[in-house]
Amino acid sequence: MTGAPIVFVVDDDPSVRSSLTFLLSTVGLQAESFDSANSFLQRKPPDAPSCLVLDVRLPGLSGLDFQRELAARKIRIPIVFLTGHGDIPMSVRAIKAGAVEFLTKPFRDQDLLDAVRVALERDRARHEEEKDVMSLQRRFDSLTSREREVISMVVSGMLNKQIADQLGTAESTVKVQRSRAIEKMHAESVVDLVRMVEKLKGLSEKSR
Amino acid sequence: MDTQPEELAAEIKRLQRCINDLVSILALPVVWSGAEPSHILHTLLDVLLDMLQLDLVYVRLNDPNGQAPIEMVRFAAPQKQPAPSPHEVGDALQQWLGADSRQGPLLVQNPLGDRDISIVPLGLGLQSEIGIIVAGSERADFPWQTERLILSVAANQTSIALQEARLWSEQQRVTSELDRRVAQRTTELAAANDDLRKEIAERKRTEEELRSSEERHRVIVEAANDAVVSMDDHGVIQFANPATARIFGHDPTELMGKPMTLLMPESVRRLHESGFRRYLATGHRHINWQGVELTALRRNGQEFPVEISFGEQTRDGHKVFTGFIRDISERKQAEDRLRVSERDLQMTQAELARVSRLTTMGELAASIAHEVNQPLTAVVNNGNACLRLLASGNLEPEVLQRALEGIVADGTRASSVLARIRAFIKKEPAAKTELDLNEVIQEVLVLAGPELDENQVLLDQQLTTDLPFVLADRVQLQQVLLNLVMNGIEAMVAVTNRPRFLGVQSRIDESGDLLVALSDSGTGFDSELDRVFTPFFTTKANGMGMGLSISRSLIESHGGRLWAAPNSPHGAVFSFILPAAGGSPS
Repeated sequence: MTGAPIVFVVDDDPSVRSSLTFLLSTVGLQAESFDSANSFLQRKPPDAPSCLVLDVRLPGLSGLDFQRELAARKIRIPIVFLTGHGDIPMSVRAIKAGAVEFLTKPFRDQDLLDAVRVALERDRARHEEEKDVMSLQRRFDSLTSREREVISMVVSGMLNKQIADQLGTAESTVKVQRSRAIEKMHAESVVDLVRMVEKLKGLSEKSR
Repeated sequence: MDTQPEELAAEIKRLQRCINDLVSILALPVVWSGAEPSHILHTLLDVLLDMLQLDLVYVRLNDPNGQAPIEMVRFAAPQKQPAPSPHEVGDALQQWLGADSRQGPLLVQNPLGDRDISIVPLGLGLQSEIGIIVAGSERADFPWQTERLILSVAANQTSIALQEARLWSEQQRVTSELDRRVAQRTTELAAANDDLRKEIAERKRTEEELRSSEERHRVIVEAANDAVVSMDDHGVIQFANPATARIFGHDPTELMGKPMTLLMPESVRRLHESGFRRYLATGHRHINWQGVELTALRRNGQEFPVEISFGEQTRDGHKVFTGFIRDISERKQAEDRLRVSERDLQMTQAELARVSRLTTMGELAASIAHEVNQPLTAVVNNGNACLRLLASGNLEPEVLQRALEGIVADGTRASSVLARIRAFIKKEPAAKTELDLNEVIQEVLVLAGPELDENQVLLDQQLTTDLPFVLADRVQLQQVLLNLVMNGIEAMVAVTNRPRFLGVQSRIDESGDLLVALSDSGTGFDSELDRVFTPFFTTKANGMGMGLSISRSLIESHGGRLWAAPNSPHGAVFSFILPAAGGSPS
């Protein structure tokens, strides 16, 4: 995640595509445009924050169908929808499915640029988040199985003595394993450790 | 005469042969008995030709009735080919036929060959009246005496035979004519007998049919669902069938001798009495006698609709009138229900047309929005981008030029989309025809009839006759009128303290347009006068609020105007004008 942000524009109208690219360029944003959903899917995912500016009415796959298709493929790119005649149920559906904004053509330029900025920021944050979780997971993986056991008991609120009783070891052994695990996880305190474990749990639940 | 013995022997031989021939000739009548003349002649010619070694023999038989004669000819060996016909031979011999052959041999040109020929003509009958035979031979010494003898005997025998044949055939003819006449007369008599038998059978059958048909009629009248009532020329009931009891509630036997008017309400009674008197006096029928619809009166005082057909009979010099009376209450109710459901259907169709028009307009609007929004979006984007660059001082001329070119192209595109849509809208077909406005009003009032009756609305029609035509879509005009009438009725439903009046007026206004005004004595509007035509505005509990709005646009699409005003002292007046089309219904 080192490159400059990219805005992908998908609209079947060449005038709309080129004018959007032009508009985005005036605020220094790089844009790539596609005339259909399928041609966008051919492109390799970038190593940079990105968002999608998508027309609802597209030939072949409609914008809303395309949103569902992306979700099914686990491509979590933020979407700004554009429409010629959006109705309320349609926009509600799109926003519920995770769209950043739903703009009716012709739109105010500032509205679009704001929506694109929000979308790019959301994408960047998501990437950061994913990066954090990945390093946390790596650290967690470096623990021994006994250290993991001890940590899960600590997090559930058990005292060292209780842990030692349950595992059938000395309380001093538990203390050593516990401090080593905190060190390996780069946790600043027990509270910090609880937060980290919760995050990992949430990730494993999400991927289930 | 010095005669040699050889010559003598030959002479004897010749005489012997002559006697034999004569015997043969005399035997011919036996062969000929009962034969036809042509058969007799055939045999004669064959016998003579063979017997006398003739070269030619010809016969002509005159016809007694003056028709063409029968001619026959035989040749020994015809030298001319083809052989001449009997008629040709007769013509060639004609000039010598009257000659007396006893004067000596007649030497004539042979009609069959080159050499001359000796002929003997012999008449048949005393004056040759039957015919003539000609025998001919190339022999120069023909005929010898014996030959002449044989020929004359043969001619005599033939004459007798022919006369007998004629008599015989005449007798035959008379006999067969007699037989024919007898047979014909017999046939005629037989046919006459047959006819008589048939006539008798027919009479029997007719009498029987008459009996059974009277019986059948009696059964039909007894079992009929319709009341059958007869009256005499004083209007007194003579007969009533059992159905009369069911329909009118009167016992049929009690009705006998009562006046017919007992079965009629007061209003019909007068009509009946005057019409009946006039008919008896003049023979003029004041109503249709087949299937006229009238109101009848039950015993319990209830009036009900009936359909009546009359028949008239003269019995013993007195007229008897029979009426077939059908209770049509149920049919009338069904007709009313049908009218209501037809009107409902019409209303539903009108509603459907409105909704579909709105839907079409919605779809069209969406399509226009998309088609026009695309280029407009591009124009706005390009313009905004330029403004931003201009503000930051980064707008380079080439960039500006590209942007402006894009703006111009997209602006042009948007306007061409609009032009295309305008052309599409113009293609909407108009079903406008020349209409008689009063006729359309009447149609709508018929449709609304049950509703007017049900709500006890009094109709006040002031329709100006001979109005000019209007050019309009009949269904749309009906929709507008029906909508206004129904609105008027609904506005009066709540009114109980004054009469419910619906006024319908048609006339030509000051500017020459046709004006229709519908006034009611309903609740009217308070301050909503301007708002009633706004879409989705309604004062009704279950109204859509589209009726008046659509009515106004329909009238306006016909080049007219629709407006509302308060009625005095109560209610509202809805008026519309339509331009006159020129022609007039009359």
